[in-house]
Amino acid sequence: MGDLDSAIAQLRACRPIPEAQVREICHKARELLVEEGNVVTVTAPVTICGDIHGQFHDLMELFRVGGDVPDTNYLFMGDFVDRGFYSLESFLLLLCLKVRYPDRMTLIRGNHESRQITMVYGFYDECMRKYGSANVWRYCCDVFDYLALGAIVLGSSYTDTSGPESARTSEEVEVEVCNANKQIMSQFRRDPSRGPRARSGATAAATTNGVDGAGATTNTGPPGSGASGSSGGSIGNPAGAVLCVHGGLSPLIETVDKIRLLDRKQEVPHEGAMCDLLWSDPDEIDGWGLSPRGAGFLFGADIVKQFNHKNDLSLIARAHQLVMEGFKEMFDARIVTVWSAPNYCYRCGNVAAFLELSDDDSGMGIFARSNGDVGRSDGGGSRGVLTENDAPMGGPFRRYRVFQAAAQDARGMPAKKPVADYFL
Amino acid sequence: MSAPSIPNLLSLRGSGGRRGGRRGRGGHDSSASPSSPGQDATIQGTDTDAALSRLSAVEMGYLDDPFAWLFAPRPAPPVRRLPIINRGTYTRTTAIDAVVSHFLASTTTTPPTQRQIISLGAGTDTRALRLLASAQHPHLTYHELDFPLIASRKLLSLRGAPPALVSPVLTLPPHPSPGTTSWTATSPSTPTSTLHCHGLDLRALRPSDPLPPGVDPALPTLLISECCLCYLLPGDAWAAVAHFSSRVRDLGAVLYEPVRPDDSFGQMMVANLAARGIRMPTLDVFRTPGDQEERLRGVGFDEVRQMTVDAVWERWVGAEEKERVDGLEGLDEVEEWLLLAGHYIVVWGWRGRRMALPSG
Repeated sequence: MGDLDSAIAQLRACRPIPEAQVREICHKARELLVEEGNVVTVTAPVTICGDIHGQFHDLMELFRVGGDVPDTNYLFMGDFVDRGFYSLESFLLLLCLKVRYPDRMTLIRGNHESRQITMVYGFYDECMRKYGSANVWRYCCDVFDYLALGAIVLGSSYTDTSGPESARTSEEVEVEVCNANKQIMSQFRRDPSRGPRARSGATAAATTNGVDGAGATTNTGPPGSGASGSSGGSIGNPAGAVLCVHGGLSPLIETVDKIRLLDRKQEVPHEGAMCDLLWSDPDEIDGWGLSPRGAGFLFGADIVKQFNHKNDLSLIARAHQLVMEGFKEMFDARIVTVWSAPNYCYRCGNVAAFLELSDDDSGMGIFARSNGDVGRSDGGGSRGVLTENDAPMGGPFRRYRVFQAAAQDARGMPAKKPVADYFL
Repeated sequence: MSAPSIPNLLSLRGSGGRRGGRRGRGGHDSSASPSSPGQDATIQGTDTDAALSRLSAVEMGYLDDPFAWLFAPRPAPPVRRLPIINRGTYTRTTAIDAVVSHFLASTTTTPPTQRQIISLGAGTDTRALRLLASAQHPHLTYHELDFPLIASRKLLSLRGAPPALVSPVLTLPPHPSPGTTSWTATSPSTPTSTLHCHGLDLRALRPSDPLPPGVDPALPTLLISECCLCYLLPGDAWAAVAHFSSRVRDLGAVLYEPVRPDDSFGQMMVANLAARGIRMPTLDVFRTPGDQEERLRGVGFDEVRQMTVDAVWERWVGAEEKERVDGLEGLDEVEEWLLLAGHYIVVWGWRGRRMALPSG
């Protein structure tokens, strides 16, 4: 562990580690990852993060706001590399932390964890620049092939269970948005009339008070919905499982179990289920649509509704798309996009966010729901189309922490002045 | 954030010709200039940036432009831009090409009559060469206006280029006209078509000044500013346009500029460019697409249209061509494209019976 800890220390200072050490760590990581299934099971509490894209200083900021490893349990949904200037340091640090604390760090694959994409979008060039050869790039790409394709988070709670009881957020709150200083910016209550699910998305909540705004607002559901004051989600019950995947769904994948059957240990294919999981996007359409990205598909609310119902999911968390507010819930909060690269490409002016899920402490046990993770009796296919009476229980308590780009000069790390390209 | 190195033509070229790197927008006249020479050089550097972006887009197959490598600085840092920048270069070039084509088609008459294009701050732009090389556009007078240094360097670049590339397109003069940095070249295949390169200071143009030599106010005229006027002070930018619009009756203009400095992307754009020493004073005045439309109406154009660059890609690039371009590299981030391309605008306007520009 000594070598590993020194590598972690060096990478935390944003300094590359020697090629031989990269090789060794990548080898160890592969041994670890090969034992993981295509869909990793993670238990709450967990902090779910989106794209990083080599923005090392912002990753440090994320750890500062979200807590360090191993104190905080992290799940990163891919796109560690490309675009930013420190893909190498960012990915290797995450990988070292994975090797060092395998149970506190989950890494799943993004569409940029690919040989072909990194050749175009910067990671290959960065490795060549920093090592003078493509060896390190090759070692990393070999690790990419072993990364899981998704994760299932079990045991997350309907209510806030973090911190001391006196400091917890009211059980009526389903969504809370905080700034980097842990101040509450806005809250969204559950809608007791229709169950927790009825609340519409919390998009752009981050903008209501500004990122640094201290005043909290409580947003209630539709008129009349707050009358009873009792939450549809009973206190302490574990919420349905949360599926984490980089891109989204695939028309070839009806159940989470089908993901488990894929042969993932390969370069990301140009089409097919594995490609779709890493490339697809939710969109305001019915059914499936062609993706403007040229890979994966667009999928609509009906697809998500059916998939979540069939798989006992309360939420899909995914990354892959830049959202200016850092996160965006869609389709009655059945799916959320989480984006963790602030001021993306040093150019986009966006804030970033990550999602914290609380653990259930009701004593009901985290495997109360099988979530397709272990032998489901009905195969998930016999329920047919969702009806109103069959509405899901609603999502887990979700706390989004919104943060901004790190002030690089203040952190005592090498800070090459980024030059963003424009059309001049 | 360009990928630093892929081999290209430039690294294979021998020495000879001029060393690049100094070219520009606007003009430099120390007596009239409110800007420092350092800032002028920075603005001139934006043209180098554009030349390298053009070369990147050509090398990746987005654009077909045999002249692109002539004006890239040498010895060159071979530059490969990211796909999003290549697509932007492609789309803005395509947009202005489309406006120019429409203008040329609308001014093709029987019997043929002369028409002219005036490109402000043309820098290392290759559009004139491409038009003259196609030999499809007789009776075209093409004027390029830029810093005196730029005008003379352009001649040197062309003179240093392989004759097989340039001599079928232009018969170059041995030197600039006596006492100036301006020069004129004629197309050997279509002698009615000429290129005038004027070394002058755009910031010094006033509405009442005499028109540059060879500019004929009686001809149907298209004025082009491809990311040029935005670097001028608003008053100078207005005067440069008024210099022509006050004289030429059948006039069109097409501008390509950044827009929307007020949202978070726009604020970051202004800050990032300022960190590189690049200021765009007119952006403070023309902040929205609507402002840009008003600007051209204010100059006296009856018909004015505008489209942001993402809309140009959406509406003006055909399905088949989209597929071709997408197939070159693939664009991974649609949201980023919409953001970036949504902060650049093509705005055009026209008046007079003898010419027309696209109606949308």
